[in-house]
Amino acid sequence: VTVRVSATGWARFGKRSEPLDELMAEAGSAALEAVGRKSVDHLFVGAMAAGPFAGVESLTARLADRLGLIESTAGFRVEAASASGAAVFHAAVLAVAAGVADRALVIAGERMTGLPTPEVTRILAQSLAPSEARAGATLPALAAILTQRYLARHELPPSALDAVPVQFRAAAAKNPVAQFQKPVSVEEVAASRPVALPLRLLHCAAISDGAVAAIVERSQGEVEVLGIGEGFDALAIADRAELTSFRATRVAAQRAYERAHLTRREVGVVELHDAFAPFALIDLEDLGFAGPGEAAGWFARGWTRPDGRLPVNPSGGILGRGHPVGASGLAAVASVAEQVRGGAGALAVARRPRVGLAQSIGGIASHNFVTILGRPEGA
Amino acid sequence: VTTVRTVAVRRCADCHSAFLPRPGACPRCGSTRVTAGSVGAAGRALAAVELQYPPPGFAPPHRLVLVELAESIRLLAGSPNVLPAPGDSVAVRTDGERYWLDDPARAE
Repeated sequence: VTVRVSATGWARFGKRSEPLDELMAEAGSAALEAVGRKSVDHLFVGAMAAGPFAGVESLTARLADRLGLIESTAGFRVEAASASGAAVFHAAVLAVAAGVADRALVIAGERMTGLPTPEVTRILAQSLAPSEARAGATLPALAAILTQRYLARHELPPSALDAVPVQFRAAAAKNPVAQFQKPVSVEEVAASRPVALPLRLLHCAAISDGAVAAIVERSQGEVEVLGIGEGFDALAIADRAELTSFRATRVAAQRAYERAHLTRREVGVVELHDAFAPFALIDLEDLGFAGPGEAAGWFARGWTRPDGRLPVNPSGGILGRGHPVGASGLAAVASVAEQVRGGAGALAVARRPRVGLAQSIGGIASHNFVTILGRPEGA
Repeated sequence: VTTVRTVAVRRCADCHSAFLPRPGACPRCGSTRVTAGSVGAAGRALAAVELQYPPPGFAPPHRLVLVELAESIRLLAGSPNVLPAPGDSVAVRTDGERYWLDDPARAE
């Protein structure tokens, strides 16, 4: 069975005044327009914490109503913390591959800027293990601990992180739907205020609103879903066998590569989950591209730039595009789809890829997803 | 809060892993054949952070230390007074719910 992504649609990321369901409808409507308003029989909706963040629930029925999709046969909301957007895409792919759905509209979004920062931090921390949340842990705290272990293990200085936001913010400046439209310098990153050292403000994702959508259907085409995979790890970082690599990514990647019958060598573009700059390094290693401890060298040498040997986050990634948490996983998939289709505009990488990979991290990497998209060989 | 010289743990009778008391089955293998035990409260710091933006209910800078005890038991402890360096010897105390660093332990 061939499942493909036939369209994508966006509601600009950043600080938005519209309510969450309106942002999601904006993205969904853009995707439906892109396929000429063809009928969809399933609606899949992804959000991490629509109620706590945005005070809205019953999102699937709300969107079916708002988008004129009440003739559709089914709809579901899917949640996997900050990987909700990837999880809901996978759910739609499974439904289409199973023959249950013919054409599905997938929409993922979050609206977070309506709350004060400590409240956003508290809601995000609900994705953590209760034992670690009780100790007063937050996502940046645990990310900082993992980063310390990573830097120590590979004998890297904290400055090894700084090239990551510099590259992604430069990319985002070309992306009209990105939250951040201005590049930053290495000096600005190094001088930004400490959040939990070695992590500074510009190493960390922003608080964002936004939504993204995709149409998934059963038919052959330019952007086929070649493989999907997911993986879990212990909820508490204290319970994990490894602290400098994410098991959940490695398992997800292995499954996706196996299902796609290909290896990392065939991948020509990557959108990975960089909620914290060091995650981009760990991800690049977990996905099999860079060896352990080598990813910082890839960034330093420019290998990950849009004209490099493996373009990484040409959309700007989470650090540049913004991080409406429920949307980010689908944003990565949609960005890869646009690169493979040749529809990335100013964001197009130097060599149009035949195959691209999107990776998404749920919580503190307890539930991660990998999606491989591509054109069939010879197409 | 009483200072203790041991920390309560659970041991899995099937996969023999040790872990902190928690609801549910063995996190490694899912077995429910779990027995109560303890390990010494002294260990070493693996990493330590100072959080400038702690969650509600905690005052900045909130210090958190990832500690490794015997049998590779790891836990996240608060630390009101000190920020140990990785590798430092530390000891923890607990009220059964949360963990804190005790006064800096002397290497034994």
